[in-house]
Amino acid sequence: SLTLHMEHGIHTDQSAATFSIENEDHTLANAIRFTLNQDPRVSFAGYSIPHPSDARVNIRVQTTGLPEGDPARDVLKDACQNLMGMCQHVRDTFDKAVEDFKKTKAVDAMDIEY
Amino acid sequence: MESISYQRFPKIKIRELKDDYCKFELRETDASMANALRRVMIAEVPTIAIDLVEIEVNSSVLNDEFIAHRLGLIPLTSERAMGMRFSRDCDACDGDGQCEYCSVEFHLRARAVTDQTLDVTSKDLISSDPSVVPVDFADTSGSGGFETPEQRGIIIVKLRRGQELRLRAIARKGIGKDHAKWSPAATVTFMYEPEIHITEDLMETLSLEEKRAWVESSPTKVFDIDPNTQQVMVVDPEAYTYDEEVIKKAEAMGKPGLVEIHAKEDSFIFTVESTGAIKASQLVINAIEVLKQKLDAVRLTEDTMEADDFGELGAHMRGG
Repeated sequence: SLTLHMEHGIHTDQSAATFSIENEDHTLANAIRFTLNQDPRVSFAGYSIPHPSDARVNIRVQTTGLPEGDPARDVLKDACQNLMGMCQHVRDTFDKAVEDFKKTKAVDAMDIEY
Repeated sequence: MESISYQRFPKIKIRELKDDYCKFELRETDASMANALRRVMIAEVPTIAIDLVEIEVNSSVLNDEFIAHRLGLIPLTSERAMGMRFSRDCDACDGDGQCEYCSVEFHLRARAVTDQTLDVTSKDLISSDPSVVPVDFADTSGSGGFETPEQRGIIIVKLRRGQELRLRAIARKGIGKDHAKWSPAATVTFMYEPEIHITEDLMETLSLEEKRAWVESSPTKVFDIDPNTQQVMVVDPEAYTYDEEVIKKAEAMGKPGLVEIHAKEDSFIFTVESTGAIKASQLVINAIEVLKQKLDAVRLTEDTMEADDFGELGAHMRGG
């Protein structure tokens, strides 16, 4: 589950927020942090783990907050989406690479028979 | 509002592919993505392993929980695992987590009747589902009738004449995070691809003896001397383990900058070895799917609780 902590007292400014995610660790957080930093709307992105015994991770997102600025929540969702897209691309590329490898191996096997 | 996607498009090339071993290159992606894949492969790809053991008779030399522990560690073929439900999430069974949708039942009956010691192995485990069986480590090329140790299966316990073992076991889906018996990976590693550049003009100033001494100073065989041209060349850049012995040796010889080695920041060489529960290539694919599922869960969370009371978060936020 995702808990959203806003800056203390500034509920109207949606451009900066800290998200606290339960049952997650470096696996997800570091990958999301990297993807967030790729987004030009982000002025700051980082993550921390308050205590190693708790499975909880805080992700801090601050956007450039220009007049048309996106709320931090949407920026995080877009980062997740981009990362999912990259995962799908890695998967497709891997599947294709396995196919190509098996083909070249089959060709090599045929050569040996002669 | 449309966001510009700065999505990168990684490239993959497979070097080696066997049933339980895969070596591939992953390029144009960040270390955080490579590490996320590695961590998911080890700890979060689901497999099936024995989780509950009911012992009817055990007169062997090992006590009940000892045998139950060993049974849990036996790798089971887990192609079904990705589509299976966790026992705790299963609504078909009446709470005991033993229905056919979320578990697989095994039984084992062994009794030593002859004077010869009876080895109870993983081959004696009989499954209720033929797609979930103990991994067979037999060498497919065959060894001409000899029963090599690997072909006998994993030994669970040895029985003397008169000793008996009878039990019923339930195998469930789980992940490595909960218990290492559910981890499908034997080892998963990735290394940065090294870029090695020899300064040829400096290398010219070395005598053949000095060149030999310098090539020898590397613990692994990265360089060699061409017998015809007497030139130092890079023979296996990936044998380099990022120890800096050759650099220290060059400085000791009075030739700093003789070689320049740096790691390509976005080029990784993965080595994936599986226990046999899942094929190595399938392991990578499952890891990507699991990572996508985790991201989906974060993305789709609707009930974000807004709070300005930080609580435990507070210490972190205040810099404590």
